[in-house]
Amino acid sequence: MADDLADAILNSNDIETVREAIPAYLLLMDGLLNSSPNNVELLFAAARLNSSYSIYTDATRAKVLNQKGFDLAMRAVCVSRSVLCDAHSSKFEEFIERIEGLKPKDIEITYQLSMSWVSWIQVNSDDWNAIAQLGRVKALLKKLLDMDETWDAGGPHLYMGALETLLPAAMGGRPEKGKYHLERAISLSEGKYLMAKVVYAEQYARLVFDKDLHDRLLRQVIDSDPIVEGMTLTNLLAQERAKILLRESDDYF
Amino acid sequence: MITSSARNRLINLIAFLILALGSSGIIAKTLKIATVSPEFLDWMQHFKSAARQIESASERRVKVRIYPGGVMGDDETVLRKMRIGQLQGGVIAAGSLTRFFPDLQVYNLPLTFKSYDEIDYIRERMDSRIVQGLLNNGIHSFHLTETGFAYLMSKSPVRSVQDIKKLKAWIPEGDPIAAELIKTFGISPIPLTIPDVLPALQTGIIDAVAVPPVVALALQWHNYIEYVLDLPLIYVYSMLALDSKSLRGLTSEDLDLVTSRLDEVFKKVDMNNRLDNKKALEALVSQGIKITKPRREDLPEWESVAERSIDDLVKSGEISAGIVSTFKDHLSEYRLINTDTKDVSD
Repeated sequence: MADDLADAILNSNDIETVREAIPAYLLLMDGLLNSSPNNVELLFAAARLNSSYSIYTDATRAKVLNQKGFDLAMRAVCVSRSVLCDAHSSKFEEFIERIEGLKPKDIEITYQLSMSWVSWIQVNSDDWNAIAQLGRVKALLKKLLDMDETWDAGGPHLYMGALETLLPAAMGGRPEKGKYHLERAISLSEGKYLMAKVVYAEQYARLVFDKDLHDRLLRQVIDSDPIVEGMTLTNLLAQERAKILLRESDDYF
Repeated sequence: MITSSARNRLINLIAFLILALGSSGIIAKTLKIATVSPEFLDWMQHFKSAARQIESASERRVKVRIYPGGVMGDDETVLRKMRIGQLQGGVIAAGSLTRFFPDLQVYNLPLTFKSYDEIDYIRERMDSRIVQGLLNNGIHSFHLTETGFAYLMSKSPVRSVQDIKKLKAWIPEGDPIAAELIKTFGISPIPLTIPDVLPALQTGIIDAVAVPPVVALALQWHNYIEYVLDLPLIYVYSMLALDSKSLRGLTSEDLDLVTSRLDEVFKKVDMNNRLDNKKALEALVSQGIKITKPRREDLPEWESVAERSIDDLVKSGEISAGIVSTFKDHLSEYRLINTDTKDVSD
């Protein structure tokens, strides 16, 4: 049921309908979780839905939704008796040791947790306690890439690319590493996951001041067919974002 | 021979050009300003909005173009580009501007401030001297901006000057005061570029850094340190610095507009940064990092090392004796009136 719902949302080509419907789905998820509180798949699906919905809300509400999303994801991790249970509050060294203990069977759990965690940090980027956790998520993504870099059509590469291009080189960022990960994410999804190109333009091309690359990527996104199994809704959102970024291009460069 | 229709077109074109060049006869000026700060930071949004306001309030006679994220290079490169006119300014660390006015390092003297109130007292009396000193040497600066206090952060606990001698400490390249201080402590500094610091901490090439808390957190260095010494080492600040030639030719209204709007922005950044560093220090504690205080009996030794380091800086001509003495006079004045000042960490 939870998976069917998630599929229906991700494959929708109608952003407005989805936006209006998600609150009802969220309540439905809460109801389902009441009767099956330890259902790992359901917990992760609810976590994803809470974080995804936050893109439609204001900053305060986005924080509440992402906190819930992260807590649900962590609950799923703990129910699965993973070494990652409560890993966010352990000491950094211990955290790194725990990651080393992850096995290929833990990929899905690790990936789901990473997504909720990145999203939580993103909406809390005005809080130093959230920024402090970036190193942990990066370590988690690195482990995922070591285990299977092709997971979810290059999803871990996309997240890693976004994190490596947050800061300019002069401030300790590694834009060229980020570029590698973003290009890998694009190639592993055969260019169909349009959000990867948007992140590449918005974070890398802007950071290194490459207007040609920026505009070219965004035009490609706008001209692409957004209907792709499991990616339609995100692709439509990516196209909306691409139009905004392209409008700002002359102002930025 | 020019045909009549061609002549008409030419006349139209000339008429258009005259109109386009502006009835005021003033040619628009673009101020290109670079910084290593990434675009998404809060203060950049204020900076960009001030740039837009300047452009519209001056009816496009002054345009401010911002190059964020280090796309124009580090502070040194920005200054070189300012010299050849490729850029007109940069938001840069005060330490990068010492060649224009070495005395601006007076705020960076080690272990001098004990509280934020002391800083405010001194800055109220001495900022204008730094601004004037720079202006005499071709740099127009705006409201000076606090970056924060550099604290010693290390893998092993440090309380005394003896403890510090065992450290392998990183100092930023090209920072004479930090280098002098480290030398006075009797340890050899390990210069590294910023991107090399994290791997050096991971592998143990270094085991200590001295930076403001926001820097340690933003660059994730906090994951490899366990202790922060509760002793504000060096006050670090930065500023928007323009080549003063770039402001020549502006009408006095436009000059007022530019200086008042930009001063306002950097005044706000100055205040916000202080709050940010306080929050960052709290975050370090909540990440499990322990704060150590120097023992009371060790304080005189810390102070005497700092004094020696300041003397050496004066002797080597790094900073003038005059400004150091004015600074110390103000500090004594303040301490005479205020006997119960709070610590920086309070």
